[in-house]
Amino acid sequence: MRAIRGRLGLVVGLVLAGLAVSGCASSGTTPATFGSGSPGAIVAVGAENEYADVIGQVGGRYVRVSAIESNPNTDPHAFEASPSVARVIGSARLIVQNGLGYDRFMNNVEAATSGSGRRVIDVQKLLGLPDSTANPHLWYRPETMPVVAAAVARGLAEVQPAHAAYFTANAAAFKRSLTGWSDALKAFGERYPRTPVATTEPVGDYMLAAAGSANLSPATLESAVMNGVDPAPQDVTRESGLLSGHRVKVFVYNQQVTDSLTAGFLATARRYGIPVVGVYETMPTPGYDYQSWMVAEVRALEAAVAHRVSTERLR
Amino acid sequence: MIGLIGLIFARGFFADSGVQVALAVGAGVAVVGGVVGVFTVMRGQSFAGHAIADLGATGGAAAVLIGVGPLWGFLAIGIAAAGTMELIGIQRPRGRDLATGIVLGAGLGLAALFLYLDSTYHSTSGATVTILFGSVFAISPSTIPIVIVLGLVAVGLVGVTYRPLLLSSISPEIAAARGLRVRVIGMAFLLALAIAVSLAAVTIGAILSTALLVGPAAAALRLTKRPGVAILTASAIGLGATWLGIVLAYDSYDWPPVGHGWPVSFFVVVAVFVSYLLAGLPTRFRRVRRAGLA
Repeated sequence: MRAIRGRLGLVVGLVLAGLAVSGCASSGTTPATFGSGSPGAIVAVGAENEYADVIGQVGGRYVRVSAIESNPNTDPHAFEASPSVARVIGSARLIVQNGLGYDRFMNNVEAATSGSGRRVIDVQKLLGLPDSTANPHLWYRPETMPVVAAAVARGLAEVQPAHAAYFTANAAAFKRSLTGWSDALKAFGERYPRTPVATTEPVGDYMLAAAGSANLSPATLESAVMNGVDPAPQDVTRESGLLSGHRVKVFVYNQQVTDSLTAGFLATARRYGIPVVGVYETMPTPGYDYQSWMVAEVRALEAAVAHRVSTERLR
Repeated sequence: MIGLIGLIFARGFFADSGVQVALAVGAGVAVVGGVVGVFTVMRGQSFAGHAIADLGATGGAAAVLIGVGPLWGFLAIGIAAAGTMELIGIQRPRGRDLATGIVLGAGLGLAALFLYLDSTYHSTSGATVTILFGSVFAISPSTIPIVIVLGLVAVGLVGVTYRPLLLSSISPEIAAARGLRVRVIGMAFLLALAIAVSLAAVTIGAILSTALLVGPAAAALRLTKRPGVAILTASAIGLGATWLGIVLAYDSYDWPPVGHGWPVSFFVVVAVFVSYLLAGLPTRFRRVRRAGLA
């Protein structure tokens, strides 16, 4: 009885913490939990909701997943952990985080909370990427999530060996379901090779590269916007020239890392009729899972290049 | 000659719209700063200017939070702070320094909260740098008329009250004995000071704005004791420092780390500091020569 009550308390605590995380993030309150998660389920955390979604898909009814970052109106680069976040992380048996300094708060909280037998999957380390990797937005990289799903399946199987086959099967099914995205990327690349695009921030760059597009924006501008410092005026002029001179076919706009400067580029793109495609730091919810989100991004690119139609926000 | 110009101004300098806006705004701010700054130094109110700037950071951060330009936040809080200072008489550091320090600390604490909210619950990522250190290359051209109007108001306030302001700055007692309304003049000047600080904050950020206001004026007053000449000199030094800062920041695109460019505020503040040091040289030479003759 006491065990059940303790577990109940944990569930209530998790839900409250999840509500606090998404709730204080105002506006569209997003559900921070993924996966069906029955009692006895493995408590897991995805630092960003795209990773939480993958954990949920692999773990199915045997996991209860929380996402730390899920608000589409905030910039995860600038996120700072609160005590409620620490509580969620402290209770997790499996954690997936991006690495590359993108979610360093996770390391801080993990170091501060005792977690015996906790498994932390750092996607950067999992993929063997060096710390000098310039673009931390690994979820837009087609190679990333199949590897993450397999690692999640292994991690969950270590916690609950009885369900190992179930986790492995789910990971395989997840990998198969991504062919829709990789096929769409390949088709786009063949139909519209070396499509010139401009971006504000590197978030979608792995996908653009996989789609065979040519990103003409200065890399130094992208990194300045990402890091919240002022880009050099030379770069700003070049970027504006890409849009006003119709030298790009698509303007790929990071909806979560914005300031007056990026808003200025957006206005320029609209004025000169350059179609805009919105890209995200976290999975836009509700209505998307990881696969459908990624496919929607490629469809938006197609709509922009083929029909000059903007998809500023995914809905 | 052309080679030299090419050496000083990196390619595309004059064609760059961001640079043009920066040069225009910087010029307006420097002239206003020269006019107001000289009186600020003469009245010993550089501390008041600093206090207004610190609290202005709070206003700028709050303005970004509610989605208006930081200038309006700097201005609103600056004027409110100036009014409060006048009411309780804390324009000078010796006046109620403890209370002032605590209020300033609380203001900066609020600024920290607002900047946190700006970058955490809004997606305005660059707000911290813009508010605290300025983003002169990222100013929208629509800001120029606002800067001009505000600048005219500040210079006008000083111009209208010029003689009584001068007298009350040099000797408040004599001014009061002559029947001048010292308090009203002081209030008008604090308003001009608040405007000048807000304009400087747009250029080089709230934290550094007093450097642009007080530095050129202090250098000018080392060179001359005549207020009119000092105002012209301070405006010229401020203009030179701001434009030099803009040129160097533009050129620094090719310096390491290549492609990033160093912040304008750094160059402006260094130029102001160097001009203050240089302005001290003539008096020192004179003193050395006099010592040699004796």
